[in-house]
Amino acid sequence: MSTSKTHNLPGTKPNRWLGKNSRQGNWWAALLLIVTTVLILLATTDDFATPQNANNLLAQAMPLIIVAIGQMIVIVLAGMDLSVGSVMSLTTAILALDGSPLVLIPLVFLAAVLIGIVNGVAIVRLNVHPIIATLSMQFIVLGIAQILRPVAGGSVPDLVVSLVTGSVFGVPAPVFWAIFVVALGWKILHGSRFGLYLFAIGGGVASGQDDTAHNFGLKDGRSIIIAYVFSALFAALAGTFIAGRIASGDPGVGSQFALDSITAVAIGGTQLSGGVGGLHGSILGAVLMALLANGMNLAGLSAFLQGAIKGVILLLVVAMQSRKKMGL
Amino acid sequence: MLPAVSMKGVTKAFGSTLAVDDVSFEISPGRVHALMGENGAGKSTLMKMLAGVHRPDSGEIRIAGQVVTFADPRQALAAGISTVFQELSLLPNLTIAENMFLGKEIVGQFGIPVRAAMTARTSDALAELGMTIDPNTLVSELSIAERQFVEIAHGIKADAQVFILDEPTAALNAADVEVLNAQIRKLKAAGKAIIYISHRMDEIFAMCDDVTVMKDGRHVSTQPLNTLTPDALIALMVGRDLEDLFPCRATNLGHVVLSCRDLVLPAGTEPLSFDLHAGEILGIAGLEGQGQSEIVRSFIGQVPGTHGALSVNNTPVKLPLARQVGVRSMQRQRVGFVPEDRKEEGLLLGAPISENIGISLQSARPGFKPLIRLRETVIRIMKEMRVKAESPNMPVGALSGGNQQKVLLGRYLASDMDILIIEEPTRGVDIGAKAEIYRLLRDLAEQGKAIIVLSRETVELIGLCDNILVVHDRKIVAKMLGCEATEHAILNAALKT
Repeated sequence: MSTSKTHNLPGTKPNRWLGKNSRQGNWWAALLLIVTTVLILLATTDDFATPQNANNLLAQAMPLIIVAIGQMIVIVLAGMDLSVGSVMSLTTAILALDGSPLVLIPLVFLAAVLIGIVNGVAIVRLNVHPIIATLSMQFIVLGIAQILRPVAGGSVPDLVVSLVTGSVFGVPAPVFWAIFVVALGWKILHGSRFGLYLFAIGGGVASGQDDTAHNFGLKDGRSIIIAYVFSALFAALAGTFIAGRIASGDPGVGSQFALDSITAVAIGGTQLSGGVGGLHGSILGAVLMALLANGMNLAGLSAFLQGAIKGVILLLVVAMQSRKKMGL
Repeated sequence: MLPAVSMKGVTKAFGSTLAVDDVSFEISPGRVHALMGENGAGKSTLMKMLAGVHRPDSGEIRIAGQVVTFADPRQALAAGISTVFQELSLLPNLTIAENMFLGKEIVGQFGIPVRAAMTARTSDALAELGMTIDPNTLVSELSIAERQFVEIAHGIKADAQVFILDEPTAALNAADVEVLNAQIRKLKAAGKAIIYISHRMDEIFAMCDDVTVMKDGRHVSTQPLNTLTPDALIALMVGRDLEDLFPCRATNLGHVVLSCRDLVLPAGTEPLSFDLHAGEILGIAGLEGQGQSEIVRSFIGQVPGTHGALSVNNTPVKLPLARQVGVRSMQRQRVGFVPEDRKEEGLLLGAPISENIGISLQSARPGFKPLIRLRETVIRIMKEMRVKAESPNMPVGALSGGNQQKVLLGRYLASDMDILIIEEPTRGVDIGAKAEIYRLLRDLAEQGKAIIVLSRETVELIGLCDNILVVHDRKIVAKMLGCEATEHAILNAALKT
């Protein structure tokens, strides 16, 4: 028929190559940077390609990968969760309490569910902007974490430590963590109706038709609350991983993770306006950040310079993601 | 046979305006029913109630004899009502198949959606419309026409019994209209009921069996189309007297203050030209979305890609103006633009009257100069405009629609503009305030100012304007004197087929 494929909307000329209208967003920029960084590190350093460094790298990247997946779940629906870092700190603080791991571990995730629900309800029912709602929650949760453990210390149950630092048949535990969180993230975002609804709600917000998803009969309010619960749960998971590595509680451990996770998600091509993004992009974004940190450490760059370079990369990568090109 | 849809005594008010007032409407299976009326007659509101977008304040809706109430459009679709609205309701970041099945996905094991099955069924529904487009295409990649076909396919897939098509051909070219019409005949043959809203007379007479005419939110008449001629139908759509609301007209016009030459709108076909004289009120009439507001908004740089020569008080202005500077540079030429949507585009609702009136005077001054004291000016303007408010410190949002509009007009009066371009001067304003605003506009014209007025209300233009331009499809199709124009003549020109 004549209408098919013959005309396109003015101004949205689809670019069939990398910039193709896509719901995944611009994830290939992160991939390209990862390949480049790896090649440079292989060529310039001897320490990079050792199994020990690979192990190290995975363990370093893992918390950020986990938080970024949770962060992405709320960013897809045009939200944002600034409380994830505090949730991680609180998690280590709880795990370093005196008690049986069989009590402490469920307590961690119960707390996360509660935090997620309060975030979601504040945003959906009380109409608080996501940044304000989760910023408030960040202060509240950090305060509780500091009450539980004012300074770093205490000890985390052996069970948690071995879950993170142990190995099965010679395969280090972080590999299993990676498989688990990626499978879970994929299921939530791309392998369920719920995931599609997240994209639908975010797409409606991004295109200025907030009611569209609701008009399709979707329970948008409930989906948004559940999304914030997931975000908090992933943060608790990341906090558990870190607690296992440092084997103690630390109220400052999560302080960088709220902004770092948003950075990773944005570098991975997820649009903060909602509706566009992919799990693989967020993972690539988190891996790239860990890789850069690792590489810059190997190259002996100062931490201050590293921060500046991170900012430059974020700005450049996101500047390449023109919204017109990327599906919305 | 039971009617497919029967609406009885349906009423819907938005704020204090009755959009639909005690309307009854019925449609039988296998019929195509045209719904006609001037802009703002309540057609779209009536249909949005049937489609579950709005809930009626009173009255009942029956589908195949059953009383129904819809919480959202999805429930209406489940009850067999499929709607293709003017403003589209698909999500751009989902594929065609995902949009079709949103909320009702086919899921397999572990709750994982089965893409293949949904793709296949979407393909089938699209194929019924003769479309071969890939169901995995994102909606953002489709043309408007394609999106409309997708919405119709959505209805077919949902096995809808009633299809509401709200100006479906507005964005279609001739070939696509043919495809759509063939599809409508097919739906009709399959015993579906189709409600067809259009302003194109030839389509109405070619496609429809019956017609219901609405005016001012009320039902006027329902009859088979073959008993009517196009002229008789237009006569049903008009017919109301507001003559005495209007002050008398200009006796003599001054020199040309604004002249527009060879203006080509981006989607336009022909260049258009017109002149505006001192002391003149010039109306621009036409059906919704025929390019009226694009013409005036191209003067303030809000329509990219326009070309043409504009001359204001003999100063040439080269179009297009940049969006960011358009309004300001026209204000420097003493041309004020009063936007239609006063709440969104015009007024600062939370700010006091004084700031709303004074802002254009303040903003005409250099950016870092301190604000000037305007209290006397504001009080004078409020008196001249007869703004009813306790004090200039009241927030504008607390005023009635008519007083808000007067404040907005007062802003341009305060900065002493020579030329005013006003979109919908009396939108959402009650009848008493309307008369006052007409009076004020005429006073301004008599002081030698020139005014361009856009309005959906034809009667308003006839009563208020010295000259009227009728626009159809981004062309000026007729020019008439206000004192000679009739609703019938304007509608006839605007419906030009």
